[in-house]
Amino acid sequence: MVLDSLTSARALMGASLAFHIIFATIGIGLPLLLLIAEGLALRTGDGMYRDMAKRWGRVAALLFAVGAVSGTALSFEFGLLWPKWMEFAGGVIGFPFALEGFAFFIEAIFLSLYIYGWDRLSPRVHWLCAIPIVLCSAASAFFVISVNGWMNQPAGFTVADGKVVSVDPFAVIFNPAMPYEVIHGTLAAYVAMGFAVAGVYAVAMLRGDQSAYNRKALTLGLAVAAVFTVIQLVSGDASARFLAHNQPEKFAAMEAQFETERGAPLRIGGFPDPATRTTPYAIEIPKLASLLTFFDPNAEVRGLNSFPPDEIPDPRFVHYPFQVMVGIGSFLLLVAAWFWATVWRRRAVRPGRPLLLAIVAAAPLGFVALEAGWLVTEFGRQPWIIYKVMRVSEGVTTQQGVGVVLLTFLLVYVVLTIGLLVLLLRERRRPVEGSARRTEGSGGA
Amino acid sequence: MGLIAYAVFGGADFGGGVWTALASGPRAGQQREAVFRAMGPVWETNHIWLIFVIVTLFTAFPAAFAQLFTALFIPLVIALLGIIFRGAAFAFRHFGDGNEAQVPLVGSFFSIASIITPLAMGIALGAVAGGHITTRGGASEPWLRPFPLVTGLIGVAVCAFLTACFMTDRTDGQLREDFRRRGILASVALGALTTVALIVASWDAKPFWERLSSPVPVAVISVAVVMGLASLVVLWRRLYALAPSVAAGTVALVLAGWGVVQYPYLILPDQRISDLAAGTTTLVPFLVSLVIGAVVLVPSLVFLYRTFSEKTG
Repeated sequence: MVLDSLTSARALMGASLAFHIIFATIGIGLPLLLLIAEGLALRTGDGMYRDMAKRWGRVAALLFAVGAVSGTALSFEFGLLWPKWMEFAGGVIGFPFALEGFAFFIEAIFLSLYIYGWDRLSPRVHWLCAIPIVLCSAASAFFVISVNGWMNQPAGFTVADGKVVSVDPFAVIFNPAMPYEVIHGTLAAYVAMGFAVAGVYAVAMLRGDQSAYNRKALTLGLAVAAVFTVIQLVSGDASARFLAHNQPEKFAAMEAQFETERGAPLRIGGFPDPATRTTPYAIEIPKLASLLTFFDPNAEVRGLNSFPPDEIPDPRFVHYPFQVMVGIGSFLLLVAAWFWATVWRRRAVRPGRPLLLAIVAAAPLGFVALEAGWLVTEFGRQPWIIYKVMRVSEGVTTQQGVGVVLLTFLLVYVVLTIGLLVLLLRERRRPVEGSARRTEGSGGA
Repeated sequence: MGLIAYAVFGGADFGGGVWTALASGPRAGQQREAVFRAMGPVWETNHIWLIFVIVTLFTAFPAAFAQLFTALFIPLVIALLGIIFRGAAFAFRHFGDGNEAQVPLVGSFFSIASIITPLAMGIALGAVAGGHITTRGGASEPWLRPFPLVTGLIGVAVCAFLTACFMTDRTDGQLREDFRRRGILASVALGALTTVALIVASWDAKPFWERLSSPVPVAVISVAVVMGLASLVVLWRRLYALAPSVAAGTVALVLAGWGVVQYPYLILPDQRISDLAAGTTTLVPFLVSLVIGAVVLVPSLVFLYRTFSEKTG
């Protein structure tokens, strides 16, 4: 077998998480849009917003169900791929996962109330049902990401003889990395979802359907996207600064900072080369990394050389996704600004063709940025599964044949993705039940 | 402490077992339509039980979790594949408004997944009881033995039996007769397989077999047998309203019987619950979280139930 167990296990866990993150993101982001759309419908009496909420609710339910499946797969994979890690950490991270289970359960309950309750609940109560969905999905994100935070900044447990002997569950959840990771990760879901929704309606408008419905949905998506992209910028900045202080190896890898230096430049792009310890073709802005991180242009930034060589991540796997995330984030900010500038100048939602194309491009890019950001976190933590406590290689299963399982599951994910895309594309042609409008033509989504 | 944890785990496991089984309609053809309709709302709950079982196992018994998921790698991978396909099939089908023609292939995926999942799960549980997973590592594939394979078949029979019994209460006319016949067949098969399992246990699962003869297991298993016979009578005499509870009772008692045979061991033959349980500082907050969770959950469930039971008439 070309693939050893460790590589296969990492690849499979990575693929499964990457798959799950998409659905988790939609499960977090879409309910917020539902809440706003139905709230607008209640407030203005505009049936179009109600139609949006109905359609998005159906999509949310489908993707939530797929997310439940991919989440179940992950809980199995903890044991199948990383039994030694779980033996060590299971008792520590069980508390947040139990709470996550409840949040998920409650979300499922209110989501079914929402989807099937259009005719059974009063409009106000129905709208109120969206609130626990939004809150519980955010709570799920909070608990799950807090575990990831714990893996990066472990806290709240004591070890004796290689075993965890006592646990402080609140210190585990409220580990130092938690606020940064949770906020950045959750906001990313709102950003990505806002642009994704806007993108769907931008496609319809590019095809010539300039209906009021499309313009309203587009505007709603971009309103959410714009607000959260701006907050996300602040949160990302704070996260980077946190890493520089608390996980400097990761920060050095993100910035491709091989050597410790004063007045470190900000490197944009480039190809970090561990052999020559340089980053050719990077655009270097002098002293900016020091300035942004420590508010002092001559501050010292630690390089990868200041750490033991077997305790640092490979900068290539961290620098590239970091560049992708930041690059896309900047692009998204531009698109949002462009859209709202156009609206403000024309006093109407009449985006031109180039702007619509940019919005269409932004739709998948939000998810790409989110996945890239997740890669930064994960690759930047290497070689640790629990930062400075346990190595990834110490957590993996002793079972052989993980490579075969990897290939099987990759196939399964491909099949599921194709199935979902077919269903969702078909949904575009389906009229909303009880809609005031006769047809949506190609315009609905 | 380990005892309380075990009670919680057992409860969740029982629920998980029953609901997982519930959603496994192994029949093709027109009954599938009815099964899908009846099981749709249950599906999500079923998943959640499963997740709770896994979270409980790795939180309260991390060492057992690690061992079992290593020793039972292959059956658990197969079970997981089945779960993924079944879950996805439900979601896809539901989204397609239940029309099979709209979502081709989903039906067959669903059927296959519904058979291999309980088979693999039954094999895994049988291996836990089979006495070949030991602290010294034991056999390389402790599940690939006669006893676990029979319990795998029991897993399938249990699902077929439960589903058929539940469906008799939810259908009528010819369809109901179909399910009645299948229920009777399944309960006979279940009884036969359980007998075979006990015989096989006498040489392939010795620790399990030796523990069977103590008074508590004998009592629980006798009640389970009586309940199983009762379910046969209920189906025979067409007392459909009783069918679901008798069926659930039978399965619950079989599981309980398994539990009392195992107690105080979590993994036969030599690993006690108390050896494998996590520390108090893990278990207490975990149990507290379960209570808090339940406090929030129950009113939501009641609200859900009320909303959808009012106007269904």
